[in-house]
Amino acid sequence: MSIRLSSAPHIRTAASTKSLMLNVVIALMPCVAAGVYLFEMNALAVLCVSTGTAVLAEYLWQRLMKIQVRVGDCSALVTGIILGLILPPTLPWWAAMVASAFAIIIVKQLFGGIGDNFLNPALTARAVLLASWPAHMTTYVDISREHIADAVAMATPLSSENAVEYTYLQLFQGVVPGSIGETCKAAILVGLIYLIITKTISWRIPVITMLSAFVSAFVLGMDPIAAVLSGGILFGAVYMATDYTTSPMSASAQYAYAIGIGFLTMIIRRFGAYPEGVTYAILLMNILTPLLDKYMPNKIYGHGIKKGAKEA
Amino acid sequence: MMEERKSLGSIFLNGVITENPTFRLVLGACPTLAVTTSAVNGIGMGAAATFVLIGSNVVVSLLRKFIPNNVRIPAFIVIICTFVTMVQLFMQAYLPSLYESLGIFIPLIVVNCIILARAEAFASKNPVLASAVDGLGMGVGFTLALTLIGMIRELIGSGTLFGFKIMGAGYEPMLLFVLASGGFLTFGILLGVINAITNYLKRDKHSEGGRA
Amino acid sequence: MKFTFKRGVHLSYAGKEATSALPVREYVTDYVKLPMSMHIGAPSEPCVKKGDLVKIGQVVANPVGPLGIPVHASVSGEVTAVEKIPYLMKDPVTVVSIKNDFREEWVELNPLGSVESVDPSLIVPAIRDAGVCGMGGASFPTHVKLSLKPGQKCNVIIVNGAECETHLTADHRLMLEFPQRIVDGLRAAMRALNVENGIIAIEDNKPDAIEAMKRAAAGRDGVHVYELKTKYPQGGEKQLIEAVTQKQVPSGGLPIDIGVIVLNVATCAAIADAIIDGMPLIKRITTITGCVRHPANLLLPIGTIVEDVIGYLGGFPEEPGKITFGGAMTGLCIPNMQIPMMKSTNGIVVYNEREAMSMEEGPCIRCAKCVHACPIGLNPYRIKVEADADRLDAAMKLNVMDCMLCGCCSYVCPSRRWLSASFKIVKEKLIRQAKGGQKA
Repeated sequence: MSIRLSSAPHIRTAASTKSLMLNVVIALMPCVAAGVYLFEMNALAVLCVSTGTAVLAEYLWQRLMKIQVRVGDCSALVTGIILGLILPPTLPWWAAMVASAFAIIIVKQLFGGIGDNFLNPALTARAVLLASWPAHMTTYVDISREHIADAVAMATPLSSENAVEYTYLQLFQGVVPGSIGETCKAAILVGLIYLIITKTISWRIPVITMLSAFVSAFVLGMDPIAAVLSGGILFGAVYMATDYTTSPMSASAQYAYAIGIGFLTMIIRRFGAYPEGVTYAILLMNILTPLLDKYMPNKIYGHGIKKGAKEA
Repeated sequence: MMEERKSLGSIFLNGVITENPTFRLVLGACPTLAVTTSAVNGIGMGAAATFVLIGSNVVVSLLRKFIPNNVRIPAFIVIICTFVTMVQLFMQAYLPSLYESLGIFIPLIVVNCIILARAEAFASKNPVLASAVDGLGMGVGFTLALTLIGMIRELIGSGTLFGFKIMGAGYEPMLLFVLASGGFLTFGILLGVINAITNYLKRDKHSEGGRA
Repeated sequence: MKFTFKRGVHLSYAGKEATSALPVREYVTDYVKLPMSMHIGAPSEPCVKKGDLVKIGQVVANPVGPLGIPVHASVSGEVTAVEKIPYLMKDPVTVVSIKNDFREEWVELNPLGSVESVDPSLIVPAIRDAGVCGMGGASFPTHVKLSLKPGQKCNVIIVNGAECETHLTADHRLMLEFPQRIVDGLRAAMRALNVENGIIAIEDNKPDAIEAMKRAAAGRDGVHVYELKTKYPQGGEKQLIEAVTQKQVPSGGLPIDIGVIVLNVATCAAIADAIIDGMPLIKRITTITGCVRHPANLLLPIGTIVEDVIGYLGGFPEEPGKITFGGAMTGLCIPNMQIPMMKSTNGIVVYNEREAMSMEEGPCIRCAKCVHACPIGLNPYRIKVEADADRLDAAMKLNVMDCMLCGCCSYVCPSRRWLSASFKIVKEKLIRQAKGGQKA
């Protein structure tokens, strides 16, 4: 009889990389449903193109580079769906395709694949689109029209002079112009709750980001409720700021990171040239992540206590 | 000296391929990134730098026995400045549009590390003819690299090549590639590709050597 | 109020149901092997030879050095061999084998009487002579723990009844069936060191044990029962101290540095046996569970062979893949079935082929689950990078020496990375390096 030898521990948690990624996919489904409901077939087409391209790009790259094919861990699927959800519903299919391939190959794989990219792939791809085809990226559809196909260029609630032209309820329901997945706050909150219940992410980054955004908006003299309900801040806080690879690890670093995202977003909205600043706020904090990890680690048990000190 | 025994052809090829200043030595990255928004700009920058390289290499080589070691860098800089001023005035007179688009990067050739590096590493130790060929090789290598980067960025970022429309009417140029970040992106990816090709060729040579 | 520590993990699988309701049975084996290295410190020196007849409780090996404790015969009969065999440690260990003649002949025991009336100065020597060492796993000689250096003062003795490891229910059953013994042992230790405060700390997944211990502790001077949250590693010495006293043991220090001593419940019971009955440590309760036909808590003579006791419990229902001493989080794999259990063996867990499969290590996805699990507050993902590259100094700077190998990081890792396992190797290398440095 042969018995094996191995090092402890002899049991592992049931959660795997794949199951965590699938949890994110499930959590994204309300946003996908809301997006397709609000923006109809255009949104579905953009989502399909971005998701399909992401998965295919990851598979082909890993095959061509003769490295282990890890497309089964579903991380490319998550990137593809998230990317689709932060694109405008009227975006041409080829732009979604370029963005998706860029996210997977250049941002993720060229830096070493899963766990090694220093920027959020979906957000970087969105920033690339913004820089490359600004016209397409700032054309939104007026949701109140009969047919989405009659798309007209519309300003998002953020870029209009007067943000209060939509009611809070409209902003919460998502019946406003915007990217496919970011308008319906109700759907995002459902996803957030699912992610926290399944312990896929901790509450820290999303909740602190939103609090920070709220307080920053108030301090900067904007309507704080409209500020957190409009634009992509909630979607970014829930699905992109929490990206494992590009967010800090220790609790204190996560607080700093989340506060930074909320604050920078509002600063960009208030003073920047762009109407929305979530993309750049998160990317900037992504870049700071290694520093935060380095200088804000967890306090180590028993350090900073004098050896041999007596109890009082 | 080793260099003297090398043939002029191999000195030339050394600059173009083996020690390509942009892709192998990664020197002069500042103009490389800044001016390569179009192929023409790349050629213009490369040609200007080539002229300065040849000129400074020849003069430095001629004076190599007379320049005291302690003040060699200031001496090199003065020589390089002379040629840069010549190029600048020439361009301003005959190629005003190119002069406009290259702007500050023409005077900045003075501090381009390729030129100083060749003066220091090659011209100050080698005879005149070899130095001239080295300058030519390095210049051509630099020009080719800049033109390559410029072509890629122009093609994707503006849909044209050397100013001619290449892409079809429906093509919407990817503006990113004519922005600064596009320069970094193209440069980085090209570096990676060239390293990959070099490694591949090296591996081939090794395996052939093994068989022989 | 329930007590707990920072971070750690909630184990989704405890594996305790199989044995937690089963009363302790006694099993007398017909053959024991007594290893001389059942405690931390120099191995004991055998004082019997092949062919000698020994009685139960007779000293078969004398202590060596300040950390030494004696070893007693756990069965009566003939010494069949005194030899070196490969054991769990790197080097072979001297083992005294005794064949049981089932005559149940005892040596004359020397009881000291009630723990409340015994002369306190006799307690620690009695514990030493009874060969008591930590029975929770670390096997540190108990009399050393209870001997304070000049200037040291103990304010509280914590009895560890957390039993946070998976599978194990030996301490649970002990608390249910012999609560008085545990309280007696605690009182003896408290009287020996003149300590006024004794705390018995138990995880809240054992309400019946908490109840039993509270009843046993009622009316005893300074003995309290604390309820702990069920979380791994609640029973780790440092975590238990943090949970109960809200204080931390200094890095590289001992609990006594902050005036605390921690004893396992089984150790306490062994102390009580030593004082009240003069009984040396020759038997202990061990949980045998997992892939065995009839899992059980058995009172086993020290030195019982694994194969023997598993045979007694009906053998394996299916092909075993792996056998460990201790629970699933920290258990040590045994190389073969001829290994005897020792004083600190609180459980023997058998895994089937499927459970024993080693999992493929994936890339780190920086999910930070290890960082939020580590009860010490280390960055396991960073240390693993240095460990894989064999950069010992860098790992040292990341405080790998503070790692107590609880296994939390490996447990939570979704990429199945061998985090704590590689830290164990790094720690061993660093310790060897430090020792080599001293010699040179």
